[in-house]
Amino acid sequence: MAGQVKDREAFQRLNFLYQAAHCVLSQNPENQALARFYCHTEKTIAKRLVLRQDPSVKRTLCRDCSSLLIPGLTCTQRQRRRKGQRWTVQTCLTCQRSQRFLNDPKHLLWGDRPEAQLENQADFKPSEPLPNIADLSKENVQTQALNTTE
Amino acid sequence: MKAVIYHAFSHKEAKDHDVQELGTQRAEAFVRAFLKQSIPHMSQQDCESHLQRKAVILEYFTRLKPKPRPKKKSKGLSAKQRRELRLFDIKPEQQRYSLFLPLHELWKQYIRDLCNGLKPDTQPQMIQAKLLKADLHGAVISVTKSKCPSYVGVTGILLQETKHVFKIITKEDHLKVIPKQNCVFTIEIDDFISYIYGSKFQLRASERSAKKFKAKGTIDL
Repeated sequence: MAGQVKDREAFQRLNFLYQAAHCVLSQNPENQALARFYCHTEKTIAKRLVLRQDPSVKRTLCRDCSSLLIPGLTCTQRQRRRKGQRWTVQTCLTCQRSQRFLNDPKHLLWGDRPEAQLENQADFKPSEPLPNIADLSKENVQTQALNTTE
Repeated sequence: MKAVIYHAFSHKEAKDHDVQELGTQRAEAFVRAFLKQSIPHMSQQDCESHLQRKAVILEYFTRLKPKPRPKKKSKGLSAKQRRELRLFDIKPEQQRYSLFLPLHELWKQYIRDLCNGLKPDTQPQMIQAKLLKADLHGAVISVTKSKCPSYVGVTGILLQETKHVFKIITKEDHLKVIPKQNCVFTIEIDDFISYIYGSKFQLRASERSAKKFKAKGTIDL
């Protein structure tokens, strides 16, 4: 079982607001204002408490007007080719802001990589043992004494 | 001049091409006469210097492109723009109580999860502390006390909470905008009744999550 999460209540609240926005839109697709309000509140809370949200959640919120981006309902999604690469272009229908995401099946977000997990990170072990500070200070004292006698 | 414009045919070349072989002097005289006839305004010296000029091949010239301006990072819409665009205004045709019943069910589920099941032996202080930080959108809220008597008794699902106002939708499909100031609200969750003193609750929904509430003795409408 996972350990105790810091700001658990805040994350629960963010989760609820995101679900509430989806719930409102599923009941009535025309009611985008309320869904937008909930998403805006969610973004403000996350910013205020400095909470990092998952990129999959952030990609479904418009960065300008905080609309919940659902393809075909609140945004359009198009596949574009540029410089030999495929891009997904998402355009919000409220504020016309567009976001581009690269279609790379090999791409992994940092959080999903195995080295990002704390237990998989190798403990830092220096190749050479660090010198004893006390010994160094003694050596310095000896050299100073030699200099003074000369 | 001979080296620049022409060279004399060798004996072999003249024979191959069946060309009458002229003497060097005659050939040069012919070329000079031809040039004088073709370019009468130019002196002989100018003509020779003009013909001897070599073309200088310049390197490929790249036109300096104007430096692209760094794209301004959009900071989102301001509060004024949001008001003008009416981004958060609920349209009258969407103001139906039945549409928001699933939202209320979702809220109840969220509160139960937040308060670890709301068991009968749970301490009320703990629930109150959790409710202060909890989200109230979707809660069934009713006005129990108010300085304005027309607000008392209004019950409905809370749709929007702003700094000074609760927007509640009643069972009659009316969207009521009730100020927090001088009002006491009641929230009922599974037989737990909690009172909210609006005057002490005048914060934005997002600000309340980070705010530390202090227990103060005097509570007045």
